[in-house]
Amino acid sequence: MRDKGSSGNNPFGVYRFLFFGLAIALVVSVFGENVHASAAPNDEQKERPELDAGKVIIDHVLDAYDWHLADYGDIHISIPLPVILMYEGKWYFFFSHKFHHGKYAYKGFRIASEGTKKGKIIRVLDDGVTPDPNASFLLDISITKNVLSIIIASFLLCWLLITVAKSYTHCGPHRAPRGISAFLEPLILFVRDDIVRSAIPEQHVNKFMPYLLSLFFFIFFNNLLGLIPFFPGGANVTGSISVTLTLALFTFVTLHFFANREYWKHIFNTPGVPVWLKLPIPLMPLIELVGVFVKPIVLTLRLFANITAGHMIILGFVSLIFVAGSSSILMGYALSPLTIIFIIFMNFIELLVAFIQAFVFTFFSAIFFGMAVPDEHH
Amino acid sequence: MELISPGIGLIFWMTLSFGLVLIILRRFAWKPILSTIRERELYIASSIRESKRIQRELAELDSTKEKLLLQAKDKAEEVIHHAKKEGEEIIRKAQQQAREEATKIIDAAKNSINAERKAAEREIRQQIVNLTVDMAKQLLEEEFSDENRKNQYVERLLEGIQLN
Repeated sequence: MRDKGSSGNNPFGVYRFLFFGLAIALVVSVFGENVHASAAPNDEQKERPELDAGKVIIDHVLDAYDWHLADYGDIHISIPLPVILMYEGKWYFFFSHKFHHGKYAYKGFRIASEGTKKGKIIRVLDDGVTPDPNASFLLDISITKNVLSIIIASFLLCWLLITVAKSYTHCGPHRAPRGISAFLEPLILFVRDDIVRSAIPEQHVNKFMPYLLSLFFFIFFNNLLGLIPFFPGGANVTGSISVTLTLALFTFVTLHFFANREYWKHIFNTPGVPVWLKLPIPLMPLIELVGVFVKPIVLTLRLFANITAGHMIILGFVSLIFVAGSSSILMGYALSPLTIIFIIFMNFIELLVAFIQAFVFTFFSAIFFGMAVPDEHH
Repeated sequence: MELISPGIGLIFWMTLSFGLVLIILRRFAWKPILSTIRERELYIASSIRESKRIQRELAELDSTKEKLLLQAKDKAEEVIHHAKKEGEEIIRKAQQQAREEATKIIDAAKNSINAERKAAEREIRQQIVNLTVDMAKQLLEEEFSDENRKNQYVERLLEGIQLN
């Protein structure tokens, strides 16, 4: 009873979300560029170093080779992180402070300050500035800020949930959960009952349950950590397109690993569709096939755009104080209470978004799984 | 552009970390948590069923109890009624018996009193006769202690006889 209705509506839903995802991504990038552009012209007017709000915001939401903690005058306080490179069959391993915050090259590598590879490590010529025009493939698997944040979050998450699991096995089924388990159980039940069970037929629920629960808690946990402005939080993990892409690929692979015959039949020989839509031009199969790849793209973009936008708005409000302060200190102080109220408000919104985006990603994954295992008798 | 270009390094580490998180959580977290929650739910469901059943049974027991109580009350009333009746009967009988007994005793007493009285009367009479005889004897002895007087008397007697 569920399959007919939901699979009939879904392509529309998928495109709508794709549209929204792209729109949000576009708005986010334009917003970022605008701040950048509007802040730039003031540079010459003052002798004090002008705040480039756009650059600050973009730098904060991007990944980095070191974990920046604070600036004091010209002193940058940051945690150097390991750089792991493979170039022409040779491995390079060193810490990122060798780059001196991107100012110098080290062993022929440097953090690009412009171009398509801006912010990433590139091979440079002997002068230490010019990018090597005939550089071959450079494999960069450095432990960046986001990677470290993911590792810390993974450890924390595993520790937290294993502690909870231990308390469950320790207390047994005949006692109400207490402490942290009592806090997490509603979330676990929410994922189990309102996400997984509502989207996937009962007989298939168990094989997807651990994955979807892990997915939900991983995203939720990283979203929350991203809202903490200090180490070990503050990294824009779930607002990094690599991370969301990986999560979406996990869903994609899991989906096709468990997909049954009926799912492929739906794609290549969609039932209930006139024959002329399939032959001689396979219009429907083509659309369905596009849909297969659109699903992970949509998941990727939605999470990425939402979280990045949230980070940017908060950073924008913070920057506002300093932008105002650079024209007059008094103005900066005067503006700060209002800005702080907005930041607090936005933080609450972001708390909500952290949950909603974790829910949405998990829910859509569950719906896609539900579509991958339709009943055989259809 | 930087913002929306995925990096191989991050994807690699992310795949590794998330894959490990999945495996670890699947084995060490979700399995015990989900099974415990499931067990508890089953336990709660069966407990609710059980309590429903017990409630039903209690209601049944209640109605039987009520019935039994009513029966017992009836019976008790009957017993009391019976006992009252019996008691009254006993009292009535006892009273009658007592009355009869009393009449008997009174009759007997009357009889014996009568008999006593008669005996006493007879004795008194006899006593009186004896006293009279004694007194007469003494009187006579007094009268006839004197020979003269005795003779006189005998003469008078004789005279009486002659007259007749």
